[in-house]
Amino acid sequence: MIVEILEASFLILTFLMAAYLIRHYVFTLAVLNHTSKRKKAAVSTRNRSYQPRVSILIPAYNEERVIGRILQGMTKLTYPKDKMQVIVVDDGSTDNTGQEAAAYAKPHDYIEVIRRNQKEGGKGKAPALNAGLKHAEGEIIFCFDADYYPQSDIIEKLVAEFTDSNVGAVQGRVTVLNEPQNLVTRLVALERIGGYRIDQQARDSLGLITQFGGTVGGFRRGLLESLDGWDESILAEDTDLTFRVYVAGYKIRYVNDAECYEEAVENWRDYWRQRYRWAKGHMQCFFKHSLKVLKSSNLRLREKIDGLLLLSVYFMPVLVLFSWIIGVPLFLLRPPQWFDMVWAFIPLSLYSFVGNFAPFFEVGVGAYLDGRTRAYWLIPVLIFTFLYNILICTKALADLFASKILRRNCNHWDKTVHTGNGNSYITS
Amino acid sequence: MLKEKIVRIRHSILGFFTGVIITYIIIWSFYLVNNEAALTLIIFDFLFVSLVFRLNGSFMKKIGLLLIGNVIGLLWNSVFHSFSYVATWYFGESLNVLYVILNPLLNSIWVVSFWSISLSVLASSRTVEVG
Repeated sequence: MIVEILEASFLILTFLMAAYLIRHYVFTLAVLNHTSKRKKAAVSTRNRSYQPRVSILIPAYNEERVIGRILQGMTKLTYPKDKMQVIVVDDGSTDNTGQEAAAYAKPHDYIEVIRRNQKEGGKGKAPALNAGLKHAEGEIIFCFDADYYPQSDIIEKLVAEFTDSNVGAVQGRVTVLNEPQNLVTRLVALERIGGYRIDQQARDSLGLITQFGGTVGGFRRGLLESLDGWDESILAEDTDLTFRVYVAGYKIRYVNDAECYEEAVENWRDYWRQRYRWAKGHMQCFFKHSLKVLKSSNLRLREKIDGLLLLSVYFMPVLVLFSWIIGVPLFLLRPPQWFDMVWAFIPLSLYSFVGNFAPFFEVGVGAYLDGRTRAYWLIPVLIFTFLYNILICTKALADLFASKILRRNCNHWDKTVHTGNGNSYITS
Repeated sequence: MLKEKIVRIRHSILGFFTGVIITYIIIWSFYLVNNEAALTLIIFDFLFVSLVFRLNGSFMKKIGLLLIGNVIGLLWNSVFHSFSYVATWYFGESLNVLYVILNPLLNSIWVVSFWSISLSVLASSRTVEVG
């Protein structure tokens, strides 16, 4: 009886892994087939005349080393400054973030600094963004993280998508600024290539759930207000908002050529902290949105399937670990006929959850399309980030369950530390 | 642009038939390699033909890489299979279990590494073509 249960569990897990693998294969094929590039470029060019007033929110908590960089980027934006409002939300910083931002705001009247005191600030990104939203006057609300550096014409590229009334939000591409720094930043860069160049592009092309990544994106102000802004009880406020936008009947568009450069985490400790927060937040979203996605009349079947796969993505490393744990005793107890074949699935499913949950072929094709010749060599090394993610996601799930059982607040926002080392990669 | 697209489609079709032939050979040579190795090779061929053959680069180079990949895969699995056979002979059946468990991980090492190398070769050919 126990063996039969183990067999059934193993088969279900293998089926799930295969489903993700097929999904990523389809994504990779879709991007390779993406032939409407020229047509899309023409639409974007035409829509450049659409220039509504925009508000750009920059939440910042102890970001003195990087806040100057993004504000410098803001001053270089080609979008008309009289239609632009930049709001820096100094979220109760204990360093010189506020003063640095104020120094930039002084000569530029479109830059404002909102200060939250230390009692109300420092509790995460969502409260800071909601505070900024109250002061925003724009028709479109953008948000950028403080460690980012935007392309000069990024707002024009992103705003162009809002000419379609079905579009509620837009997402640009995230590229790693400090990639050459060390092995961790190089691996994060590879994850980003898989996640944005292939995953996001494919979801957009196939009409699936394009994800708002929490930064380098914008929303219609009316939609954002009708959704009551960012949910402060969820650690992955971006994924949460993504699903609320789709359930409300709107779409999110991804613009691959609207690039913004981020300062990636530089060591394994910070990598753990960041991914742990993402994993936990994503799992919270799974419990909050799964049923809503299934029941939603605004979503097509393929969007529902993709939505559920997207919501469950951080559970998969845990399930891979689980499949190993039950697979070994199952093999030792009674190797059935189908078992040999199932084992062969594992090397591919193993890599299908590498890093940013993209398999090796997806990352490879993404890097190739980006012309990142030297990046290929590190693809085999992504196995380490995958193994690391197994630990991170397992801990996140265990902590989430523990906090539910013990009724503890599990929403501690572990802030990613930015060193400002990315500044040296910007040429003025 | 159109010419490039036609070339890619032609490469994909020719690659598909090459993949079918290789798969057919692998299936008929099941007695040479174990089931796991054969299935890994078939999956490798499928991914390689359907994805890498759509990228830029000469057809002969892609076919060459595909064949080299299969030879490496076969050698890789033969070496490990022989090793496990000898080890089992001397140390008992428990080592064979270890081999079966580690087999997927061992196979993934050559698949992913060869994938990276193939892309590098094709990218270098693209640089030459453009430059």
